[in-house]
Amino acid sequence: MRLTDQQVAAIRQVVSTVCGDDATVQLFGSRLDDDARGGDVDLLVVLPEPVERPAMLSAQLSAKISRHMHGRSVDVVLSAPNLTTTPVHEIAAQEGVTLS
Amino acid sequence: MTDPAQRARLAFLSRVIIKETDHLLITNGRVFSQPMTPERAQRLTDDIEDSEQVDAFVSRFGRLQDTLGNRLLPELLDALGESVGAVIDNLDRAEKLGLVSSAEQWIVVRRLRNQMVYEYIESPSVLSDALESGHAFASELEATSVTMIRMLGAHEWGDKATIEKFLAARGSS
Repeated sequence: MRLTDQQVAAIRQVVSTVCGDDATVQLFGSRLDDDARGGDVDLLVVLPEPVERPAMLSAQLSAKISRHMHGRSVDVVLSAPNLTTTPVHEIAAQEGVTLS
Repeated sequence: MTDPAQRARLAFLSRVIIKETDHLLITNGRVFSQPMTPERAQRLTDDIEDSEQVDAFVSRFGRLQDTLGNRLLPELLDALGESVGAVIDNLDRAEKLGLVSSAEQWIVVRRLRNQMVYEYIESPSVLSDALESGHAFASELEATSVTMIRMLGAHEWGDKATIEKFLAARGSS
């Protein structure tokens, strides 16, 4: 995984502040590949409750986490009981590593 | 300090922003005369007329936000004798100067734009929320245009008649 301990802690802190302690966050995509370089940070945030403003929530998480990573592009996909499951969710669920 | 070339660029950008603002508001009014529900968002793939309107909104929204934040703002900060740096630093500066209401909100909205594209976003509730959030922010973009254009006018950095007409139409001078 190509994230520093500080970056993992910052991501967890933002997710917990914005979404509460019951939300979990997984890293998937190119940042899991130790041989790759740079690249976007792809995150799946799993929420136990339905989310009313999914696009706004995802954009807020992305903007806040990006600020902790010197403006690096961060993509946040949400999973919640009221949201459609798409192929990207399945990829994230298969390969994702929970940040803890 | 401004030189003639910089004044010409500011005047050009003021004309672009005035057109982009007026056009965004027209499309904003048309698209959101009915609420963007998840059901309507789901129909966009097959509803050619509505999807063209929504495309126009998304593209005009994005162009105005980029012209204001990425083109006019650095030029304006430079003309005001402020330091110019990365986008986020410029936005922080703009917030302190009262040119944008919140640098963070501006960045959030930039991220929202990725979720306004119906070909990419397969979740109707995400798409409808992104579009409705864009609709809600359109008035903030207009307010930013007015603030920046008013500042250009005050420094005589734009076409006086065009600026006065734009501000007068908004009950602002």
